[in-house]
Amino acid sequence: MIQRKLSIILENKPGALVRVVGLFHQRGYNIESLHVDPVNNLNEYKYVEKNLNIKLNKGEVSHLIIATTVNDNLLRQILRQINKLIDVLIAEEME
Amino acid sequence: MKLAGNDILIQSLIKEGVEYIFGYPGGAALHIYDSIFKQNEMEHILVRHEQGATHAADGYARATGKPGVVLVTSGPGATNAITGIATAFMDSIPMIIISGQVAKHLIGTDAFQETDMIGISRPIVKHSFTVDSAENIPEIVKHAFHIATSGRPGPVVIDVPKDTTAPDKLFDFVYPEKVNIRSYNPPINPEKEQIERAVEAILDAEKPVIYAGGGAINSNASEELLLLNKILDFPVTNTLMGLGIYPATHERFLGMLGMHGTYQANMAMHNADLIIAVGARFDDRITNTPSLFAPNAKIIHLDVDHSSVSKIIEANIAVFGQVKNSLTEIIKSLETKKELIDSKKISHWKKQISEWQSQHGLNHEMYLNENDDNPIMPQAVVQHIYNITKGNAYITSDVGQHQMFAAQYYHFDEPRKWINSGGLGTMGFGLPAAMGVKLAFPNEEVVCITGEGSIQMCIQELSTCTQYDLPIKIININNEALGMVKQWQDMNYGGRHSASTYQSSLPNFVELVESYGHVGIKIEKNSDLKNGLKKAFMQKDKLVFVDVYVDPSEHVYPMLVAPNGSLKDMWLDKETKT
Repeated sequence: MIQRKLSIILENKPGALVRVVGLFHQRGYNIESLHVDPVNNLNEYKYVEKNLNIKLNKGEVSHLIIATTVNDNLLRQILRQINKLIDVLIAEEME
Repeated sequence: MKLAGNDILIQSLIKEGVEYIFGYPGGAALHIYDSIFKQNEMEHILVRHEQGATHAADGYARATGKPGVVLVTSGPGATNAITGIATAFMDSIPMIIISGQVAKHLIGTDAFQETDMIGISRPIVKHSFTVDSAENIPEIVKHAFHIATSGRPGPVVIDVPKDTTAPDKLFDFVYPEKVNIRSYNPPINPEKEQIERAVEAILDAEKPVIYAGGGAINSNASEELLLLNKILDFPVTNTLMGLGIYPATHERFLGMLGMHGTYQANMAMHNADLIIAVGARFDDRITNTPSLFAPNAKIIHLDVDHSSVSKIIEANIAVFGQVKNSLTEIIKSLETKKELIDSKKISHWKKQISEWQSQHGLNHEMYLNENDDNPIMPQAVVQHIYNITKGNAYITSDVGQHQMFAAQYYHFDEPRKWINSGGLGTMGFGLPAAMGVKLAFPNEEVVCITGEGSIQMCIQELSTCTQYDLPIKIININNEALGMVKQWQDMNYGGRHSASTYQSSLPNFVELVESYGHVGIKIEKNSDLKNGLKKAFMQKDKLVFVDVYVDPSEHVYPMLVAPNGSLKDMWLDKETKT
């Protein structure tokens, strides 16, 4: 198993981050590192607007990066579960 | 229109078509309760414990398909609701829980009856909201109902700080007509390519099984399932949660599968070359050891929830969408390929399944006994209830042996009539759930099949039944022990009955229910069973509690061999293993 980085775009509002973090514990996965920032440079996030057909405003969403060590099947399962969270716009493995 | 926060909340619920709200008042919810008092479009049902409110709302939701609505106060009111929320979450039941909260300026100060409801409920809700201002209540309520009822349904908590419902501050009330949550888009229609792959596999199959679960009921897919099988004539099994989605009296129905499933259902799944999973999630009561599950089967999995597919058993063909729509697309495609459907292909398989059924299928006759020297068998109790109600009743159950006997011997021909806590396995569910069903369908027969263990977990709701005149029938299958626990102790712990018996401490149930104003009947002899039950069901306007003493040593069979067993490894009775 190797360490993977997950890139998660979520609504920047109270309670959104803890839903993602809580899910790791609920489902028995471990978080090895975590970084979160509000998205201010919208140019880097055109793909979110394109994929969801929405318009983002500055600071409206956050970019969360989580590192975790899992196999392929578990990675797919984690991503599906994170994507299911109502406040998450996109969760995917980082290139 | 200008309204205060409390009225905005209640008017929003009315806009959503809420007929009943199940709840219990307290300090933080008092503004809201005052608004309830001032209207008459929605009836509040006062339970005796908040757990009862959640189960009643849950029963209402399961029977009607509409979301159940709960109102509790902060602190203990909210925490008492937790078991019922978790029950709804595990079974994907739409529910809205409005919890009072201390005023915003008190949050975080350990105020009286303050608890972090959003935090406590987070792992067991589909989503939750905190009301920050009365102005936002309509939008939050609209979002909550949309989330609770769409995609894979589930409970949604709305936590309401007291100051946001203050009667002295007025706001414009406009209820939104449309809802759009940009980060929430559950699949509705399947992809064409997946449908074609599924159809190809269906046409190839020689040993197919349709395995339908609670998701098919949530998606109201019973008609489509029947239609599909008119074309295919495949064997069908249902999960505990799926009972009724396919008529139990249909020739192709195999019975329930899994832990206490029928021999033929489990054998068919194990030996299948194609399993069509329709709104079912391959949980551990179904698969037994996943690595040994259905070794030769290709899996087609129809589901609305991405995270349920290939979670435990890898799906060869995943079809995402409302299963009702996915089934419709499969039917459409099959109809264009009718010449490719060869019914002879599966005739050998059907013969094999009939053989399994005649070898070890459920025995009905052996439990029916008129001789008073023999104890009453619990399976006979359920069979009599089935006959007396002509298979048309709504049956709620609690958790344990009686639940499995009910699932095995009450043959459900329609969806939404079997109301039980399958996922969480919550004892105490049956009675309050029956209240919710009876309120939704006052003219229908509603029966709670329970045990003396489970019924005592929410027995206080007998008082609610008196207040709202709910003439349900409660059949207490009394074996004077926590039967399922005792069964496991018999089978796996050398018969050491640790904490599973009550040592003569049970109440006199007849006197107990009579003190609430209900009717109690005690049955101890085989010769009294049929007539005693008939007498109970003849009293249409009364809640009748029938306390039936049954064989305390009886076990539920078949039972899967665990751990390390597959679906073909079953105990068929106390001595016989497959």
